[in-house]
Amino acid sequence: MSSLVRAAWRSFEISTRLRVVSPWAYLNWLVFPVIFASLGLFMLTSSGFTRVAYGVLGGGIIGFWSVAYLDGGNSIQEERWSGTLEQIFAVPTPLFVIVIGKIVGSLLVGLLAFLPTVALAYFGFHASLPALDPLRFAVSLAVLSFSFFIIAVALTPLFAVWRWAFTVLNGLEMAVYGLCGFMFPVTLLPGWLQPVSYLLSPTWATRALYASASPTAGADVTGWWLITFGLSAVYLALSVFLYRFVEAKARVSGELALA
Amino acid sequence: MIQATAFTRSLWLQYVALFQWATPLGYLAYKVLLPVSQIVFFVQLGVFATGPSNALYFALGNSLQLTANSGIFGVIATVANERHLGTLPILLGSPANRLLTFVSRSFVNVLDGILGVFFGLVVTVLLYRLDLRTADLPLLALCIVVISMTTAGLGLLFGSVGLVMRDAIIVANVVYYGLLIVCGVNFPVGRLPGVLQAVAYSLPLTRGVQAAREAVAGAGISQVAGLLAGELLIGAIYAGLGYALFRLLEGWSRRGGLQEAY
Repeated sequence: MSSLVRAAWRSFEISTRLRVVSPWAYLNWLVFPVIFASLGLFMLTSSGFTRVAYGVLGGGIIGFWSVAYLDGGNSIQEERWSGTLEQIFAVPTPLFVIVIGKIVGSLLVGLLAFLPTVALAYFGFHASLPALDPLRFAVSLAVLSFSFFIIAVALTPLFAVWRWAFTVLNGLEMAVYGLCGFMFPVTLLPGWLQPVSYLLSPTWATRALYASASPTAGADVTGWWLITFGLSAVYLALSVFLYRFVEAKARVSGELALA
Repeated sequence: MIQATAFTRSLWLQYVALFQWATPLGYLAYKVLLPVSQIVFFVQLGVFATGPSNALYFALGNSLQLTANSGIFGVIATVANERHLGTLPILLGSPANRLLTFVSRSFVNVLDGILGVFFGLVVTVLLYRLDLRTADLPLLALCIVVISMTTAGLGLLFGSVGLVMRDAIIVANVVYYGLLIVCGVNFPVGRLPGVLQAVAYSLPLTRGVQAAREAVAGAGISQVAGLLAGELLIGAIYAGLGYALFRLLEGWSRRGGLQEAY
């Protein structure tokens, strides 16, 4: 057990060090959040400040997601480019232990994304969140982080076996922002799309986060936290099969080194 | 004839190989999934911010901005990925005409940018009922061609940075999403602070998007000629600066041994 924890810690340590010197990480936690927060704040403040929470926090959630999931997942792709992916699959340490270390590192860096967006909102647009409930907000942010963590851990193996996974998921990024309600409520989506949103755990965590940041009538924040945990548990159960499939496929096909 | 064939083939290979969509799935992700999701995302955000009556403003703006998907991402990747894939020293060691080498990086991307905007407009018509019956369609088509060329001019300038910078595609990301803020795509340029308005009018797309919006509203060529002329001038300036930078950085990268730095 201690050897697994040590392996996860080393994976966390190395991936975090690499992220500190990676311009992509800065793009994701600093530049993208500021761009999306600027867009959101310019658009959402055109008719008053009633929806400003989506501008203040939306860019941060997008940056957090980008680092936690895309940057975290892409770190496996970078192993391929660096020629170390085969070693990762060959070592006795299970793949999920290494992935967990990487994702925890990306989550910590991803949380930084809220700093530039809150600063931009306050200094650039004089926008703040005066009605924020600190306790509920902190728990909702922790639940959102948990949901990102589970999704990232569950799906990262796809990046290892399918080289096109990053390309496709990159193309779907804005769809995820919309489906999870990162910058506007999912109730605005067409009716046929809303069931898809409700199957995604970040949708519920994001809803709880916004309800904690601004007064929302009839907000069942605790219920939304529980739904997030329930969906995350389902993802985790499904990921067991995915990991088995990926580890077997990687060895059978012998294509890990193909970049 | 043989030279023309070789040139055409090189244009195509630069496009499919260096933009990393040599597979249909990659093309589908960048040219179908991304455009549709961008249009839907910003329309829904705009509707949330200002109400459903303005949906077409956001849909049209984002459809037009899709040209930057090719003009910025495509062109920058087509220059910068030479380093990533290890072919930059071979390219710069060849006796090929530098101006042709430089301009050819944007050729297929300009055509693809035009195709991208038309795809965006089709999506806008189908999803948001954009009514083009009163629009001046030939003028709208001209606006689309112009913005595709001028955006590629900006892409050539930043693509040249790829000669000395390892992660030039990061610049593409910043420029692409920055254009969404400053070029009147999602809200009028007049809402920006004075400094950013000056930036907006020094960039391609701003005048072209304005001209295209007016063409959709039924304006004629005489009403938008000034905007299109300004747009073309801006695009030509960026392409010229890009070529100058390309030559400058080519020498710099050769002297500094930066061509293979990765």
